[in-house]
Amino acid sequence: MPLETATKAKGERALSPRERVQIAVNRVGHSYRPQKGRAVTALEDVSLAVKDREFLALLGPSGCGKSTLLYLIGGFLPVEEGSILIDGQRVAGPGPDRGIVFQHFALFPWKTVLKNVLYGLEKARLPREERLSRARAFIDLVGLSGFEESYPSQLSGGMRQRAAIARTLAIDPSILLMDEPFGSLDAQTRSLMQGELLRIWQRSKKTVVFVTHDVQEAVFLAERIAVMSARPGHVKEIVEARFDREDPDLLRSPRFVEIVDHIWNLVRAEAIRADRGGAP
Amino acid sequence: MARVSERVEPFPARVAAPFHEALSRLWRALSGMLSLLVVLALWEAFAREGAVSSFLLPAFSVVVERVFQDAASGELFFNLGPTLYRTLVGFVIAGSAGVVIGILMARNAVIRWFFDPIVSIGFPMPKIAFLPIFMLWFGLYDFSKISMVVFNAIFPVITAAMAATEGVERELLWSAQSLGASRRRLLWEIVLPAALPQIFTGLQVALPVAMIVTIVTEMLMGGPGLGGAMITASRFADSPGVFAGIVEIAIAGLILVKGMAILRRRLLLWHQETKEPTTV
Repeated sequence: MPLETATKAKGERALSPRERVQIAVNRVGHSYRPQKGRAVTALEDVSLAVKDREFLALLGPSGCGKSTLLYLIGGFLPVEEGSILIDGQRVAGPGPDRGIVFQHFALFPWKTVLKNVLYGLEKARLPREERLSRARAFIDLVGLSGFEESYPSQLSGGMRQRAAIARTLAIDPSILLMDEPFGSLDAQTRSLMQGELLRIWQRSKKTVVFVTHDVQEAVFLAERIAVMSARPGHVKEIVEARFDREDPDLLRSPRFVEIVDHIWNLVRAEAIRADRGGAP
Repeated sequence: MARVSERVEPFPARVAAPFHEALSRLWRALSGMLSLLVVLALWEAFAREGAVSSFLLPAFSVVVERVFQDAASGELFFNLGPTLYRTLVGFVIAGSAGVVIGILMARNAVIRWFFDPIVSIGFPMPKIAFLPIFMLWFGLYDFSKISMVVFNAIFPVITAAMAATEGVERELLWSAQSLGASRRRLLWEIVLPAALPQIFTGLQVALPVAMIVTIVTEMLMGGPGLGGAMITASRFADSPGVFAGIVEIAIAGLILVKGMAILRRRLLLWHQETKEPTTV
């Protein structure tokens, strides 16, 4: 299989036969053309295999194309070079099998929290009673009970992101795509939300692709971290980070610190390159 | 209660907050009215002083009396009716056509290619200059006047609707699609509600324009209507009649604009800027 050899070449360890590949990104490239100026290559020859129920982080300096890769997997941008397969099917546009959470929440501001969560359930044509009970259950799961009738403009940033997560989880996507979901939250809310996301993931066991530029966040959350290079982005190295996440001293454990340091060194080199590349 | 508000506290008690707010809101409303009352009082005093002849400036009380006389005799409603009819019919046509054209321009390249130069020239142009041509082509009656109103009021609606539609964040559209919305439903379910605040702002600009143009066409074409009545009064050297017309137009305009503001507050309950006090 060309896919496996491609991912192995990028430094991935051998897949155990029981681990099914759910998202197969195969030699994907992407470039966009700004209104003025020449085309910019955002991604070049990216190959990646995300296994079923895995938590994978895409990490890299800003402008490395990690969000672009996420949007390609989501089907929001057309795959023009290479291929992306979800459960063996070519991606052909967005769909409810891949839920997405954006950095700036993208809640519908004219709908209340409850109606935001109900939107996807209505699209799934669930019976009315079931829609309501399901929506309330997920609002409760993210700790927003009592705010069902609030509009997004009346909520804090953390609460808005909780609502957005509830809206996405309610339609039960098998894949959760997260685009720097905690990037605009304050430090306390952020670490609280990280813990809650882990708890939700462990309970629901979805495949998560999590875009971030925060090394510690990536190592804390993800089982594997795909470190991306500066533009044009490609996967530079895939780092395994499997820990006992219940351990309260995890963040100070030598292995955690060692992995963070290792990734920092990889990212630092890329960030410097990205910075120089950005200057004329 | 008065003592509560006088006491200086580093952290004012919660109960004091709504009272404070009510007081300051009352003061804002009063001070807004106050400047108007001062101007009217100065007008009255100046006219009574006899500094100028009552032909040049009749006293405010005389003008108010005339307004009441017009109302009692039915003359006021005989003129107000056609003016409001032309304003509102012109506004509704300009509003609906402008919204449709603006949205289509934002979403269709061919329609944009066609309308863009027309709008760029038409928007800043003093369109009232077309009045002789409209009189020549469409005559002096309602059709001609309303056409002129539509021609003037449509441009702010087109530009607002186009900018609003273009400004809808792609994340909102992507969220809806990944929650299962079909492309066909996006316009009604996402684009329109998301663009509504800005579209409504365009309509709020267009309404006074419609009123102004109605009065001007009435002044220049004659017939029933507040503008025509003022010109007739001026031809008969009836100063109180002219000033009464100004007061009647001011009140009618104020009611229309306030009505729009109230409608906005009802329709856009979720929109943060809408809830804040405005000058309109």
